[in-house]
Amino acid sequence: MRRIVRAPALAGIGLVWLYRLTFGALFPTTCKYHPSCSEYAVQALRAHGLARGSLLAGWRLLRCNPWSRGGFDPVR
Amino acid sequence: MIVYAVPILSQLEAIMRHVLNWFHSNLGLSWAWSIVATTVVVRMLLVPLTIRQIHSMQNLQRFAPQMKEIQKKYKGDKQKQNEELMKFYRENNINPAASCLPMLLQLPVFIALYYTLKHFDFGRGNLSFLHFIPSIKDGTTSHWGGYVLLAVYVLSQMASTQFMATTADKMQRRLFMIMPLIFVTFIARFPAGLVLYWVTTNLWTVGQGLITRRLIPKTPAPVVERRSSRTSPKDDGGSGGNGAEPEGTPQQPKPRASAPRKVKRKKRASRR
Repeated sequence: MRRIVRAPALAGIGLVWLYRLTFGALFPTTCKYHPSCSEYAVQALRAHGLARGSLLAGWRLLRCNPWSRGGFDPVR
Repeated sequence: MIVYAVPILSQLEAIMRHVLNWFHSNLGLSWAWSIVATTVVVRMLLVPLTIRQIHSMQNLQRFAPQMKEIQKKYKGDKQKQNEELMKFYRENNINPAASCLPMLLQLPVFIALYYTLKHFDFGRGNLSFLHFIPSIKDGTTSHWGGYVLLAVYVLSQMASTQFMATTADKMQRRLFMIMPLIFVTFIARFPAGLVLYWVTTNLWTVGQGLITRRLIPKTPAPVVERRSSRTSPKDDGGSGGNGAEPEGTPQQPKPRASAPRKVKRKKRASRR
């Protein structure tokens, strides 16, 4: 049962990994945060499920712009 | 047929088709040159973001020696190392160089182009590029010209890495130089038009890097001299030697060559 509930989040994590192995690997590490955006996404999906996790990850991506400060920013 | 399952993808594809069509019919460019023009427009839109990025990157490189020392100090503890680095950024008012957004904004363009090249009926228009690529819709390796394009891709990717890589870590930099050689095997299966996009965007990165480097004069590493009377000069010489050696950064030799030879003094005590 728990596995079924967690399936959407796992699918999301799979997508993040797909990105990491393809485009993510193509470019030098460009993230100003720690953990990096993709790592943050994986952690957020794991902790909060697909819906909330995706929102958190999306919000982090928007924050990861040249005008932000960056830094240590773990999933809460 | 994933493209029809996700509405955003088909929207992106439609937009890309319109843009390419506009260049083709209004400016009379061939399809291949329309792709190049689209890439240039995308990169032009990203210029404010990238300029900002390059600025902060140069700032970051000025402080490379100090940061290297922090990294060395907390070698075992990654978390602590990062926190210390972030503290150093805050103290010196540095904005850590790159960020995910500019790179990520290019991703939809790339995906849209991929599907456009897959589905779009270009009619009987000229699909060749500079006489050596017969068709941008075909797989890159289907003609010898594709191999030339792939070679250009590898070179341009390596060159743009030189400008984009934020890390001074030698090992990591070397890895990024090898990356294109691995990726070329995947990219070879893509339509030639997509590789053309990639080459153009890389060349843009290189050009941008060259221009910004010329325009923004490089300031030599700031001498963080908060000298306390307690430190002996002998101690200073020792720490200055190991700090001022950012081997990985390509820009570093320049200021060193132009500046008069002097021993850079560094303070261990500058960090609390």
